[in-house]
Amino acid sequence: MSTTTDGRSSTSTSHGAIPAAQETPSPALSRAGIGLRAEHYRDVIEQRPPVGWLEVHSENYFGNGGRPLHYLDRIRTDYPVSLHGVGLSLGSTDPLSDAHLNKLKSLVQRCEPVLISEHLAWGSVAGRHFNDLLPLPYRAEELRHMVERVSQVQDWLQRPILIENLSSYLEYDTSDIPEWEFLAELARRSGCGILLDINNVYVSARNHGFDAQEYLRGIPPPLVGEIHLAGHTVKTFTDGELLIDTHDQRVTAAVWSLYRDATRRFVNVPVLIEWDAQLPALEVLVDEARRAQMILSDTYADVA
Amino acid sequence: MPTLRDLQLDFAAQVYDNEARGLDAHVHANGLTGARRLQVYRNNHISSLAEALRAVYPVLHRLVGDEFFTHLAASYVNAHPSRSGDLHEFGAQVPEFVATFPRLAALPYSRDVAVLEWSYHEVFHAADHVPLDLTRLPSVAPQRYGELKFKLHPASRLLETPYPVLRLWQVNQPDYCGGLQVDLRSGGDRMLVIRRALDVEFELLDRGGYAFLLALRDGMDFATASDTASAVQPDFDVGSALRDFVSRQAIVDFAL
Repeated sequence: MSTTTDGRSSTSTSHGAIPAAQETPSPALSRAGIGLRAEHYRDVIEQRPPVGWLEVHSENYFGNGGRPLHYLDRIRTDYPVSLHGVGLSLGSTDPLSDAHLNKLKSLVQRCEPVLISEHLAWGSVAGRHFNDLLPLPYRAEELRHMVERVSQVQDWLQRPILIENLSSYLEYDTSDIPEWEFLAELARRSGCGILLDINNVYVSARNHGFDAQEYLRGIPPPLVGEIHLAGHTVKTFTDGELLIDTHDQRVTAAVWSLYRDATRRFVNVPVLIEWDAQLPALEVLVDEARRAQMILSDTYADVA
Repeated sequence: MPTLRDLQLDFAAQVYDNEARGLDAHVHANGLTGARRLQVYRNNHISSLAEALRAVYPVLHRLVGDEFFTHLAASYVNAHPSRSGDLHEFGAQVPEFVATFPRLAALPYSRDVAVLEWSYHEVFHAADHVPLDLTRLPSVAPQRYGELKFKLHPASRLLETPYPVLRLWQVNQPDYCGGLQVDLRSGGDRMLVIRRALDVEFELLDRGGYAFLLALRDGMDFATASDTASAVQPDFDVGSALRDFVSRQAIVDFAL
């Protein structure tokens, strides 16, 4: 396996001066993290659960004050925090929103996140937002567009971001680049890192009939700065089924298995459990993080 | 092969506005039809925005029931599409929307409930502010007090409703356990919605106090605001009202 030729090249990009996200790991990130939701603020403060770090949705902290920012300020004294954006609509052909970027930058300055991420997706056009993660066609046109947009964000924030692969329910016939190649090339050209969501790889592989292992093999390990794990739901129709990325339950056995494979290829990458709907007790998220941690320990004990 | 721009416009029109744009032709069927795959995105859109509205309008949701609320939300999404990737901004026009929504005529107070809940939402996320330090007042010459412009707490809103909305809100809280009677003819409320630390609170105001704060909020000076309050409530004691609103942090700053 070669990781020297397919990794980040040293040739300068438009962001040659910005260090790669994955070159400055925090020791706390070597332990699995969990997504933080408002329902768990008090439990996290009182119980100090044994997780390495916490990730929040950036837009949930776009208000000017009050409870969300109060708890974020408090909790980040105990844990490193990462910001995960869902609303920037990077792939849209509308201009990026200055208001959105300004709020994101203020939040970055306020909470000094260890990682900042967004999605390989679009969610708005002609001023109208769908507040969803919609798939792009994968062609040279979209690649140029995404490189430009990610570069704008990184210039604005003056630091690299991570871009996450999404769960998708359709592919465009016009696409002529596999998603993994598109993502890797986006990272190489823009200088961003990759947030590899293992559940999303699995969900999209099942929905579109590609090989999840081929996806993993197509992602150069040095580009991956974070891994996500989450639960999904199988939705059955009269003419077939789709896997839906619901983030409302435990990680499935198949996704744990794929994660185990991923840990052998993507070494020492921070891993995070996401759970956004039908939120269970904090202990359940912590238990999922513990499970991810055990897989990490197994893999690296084997390697050692 | 459409440009990305055209594809996104077609996607929006077909998936969210139900206009046939031939998008199915560009969707790889692969087992399920293109229409089926697009339907997932349409459903996801309505359900996630309805969920956002449910979070901001829990009492309205409770009053009309889940099924009706989902129908209301779907209609609202079409009439007032989201304009931001930040969902906090979504739902501002719900009060005016429910005021004219067919089949809500039987619940004429639904607008007032929505006004209160949107105020709560705004106040919940508004900026923090330290209390006013009254020891700064002696720096102002007493003969210029009338020109002072007092500033209200950024996390405060004033509202006046035809129906007793505070009572309606209270009896529809999940943890409420008292009598459920609401006398809709008991008159409306004048209210301050305010967040001093973390919790949003509702405080009923008398006629003079409401007029006074409203005048200050709208930028009138102290003398004009006092006159406005006295005009609607002849016994309005502006001195004690000022001290009271400062101590309750409704007023948090002043400038000349």
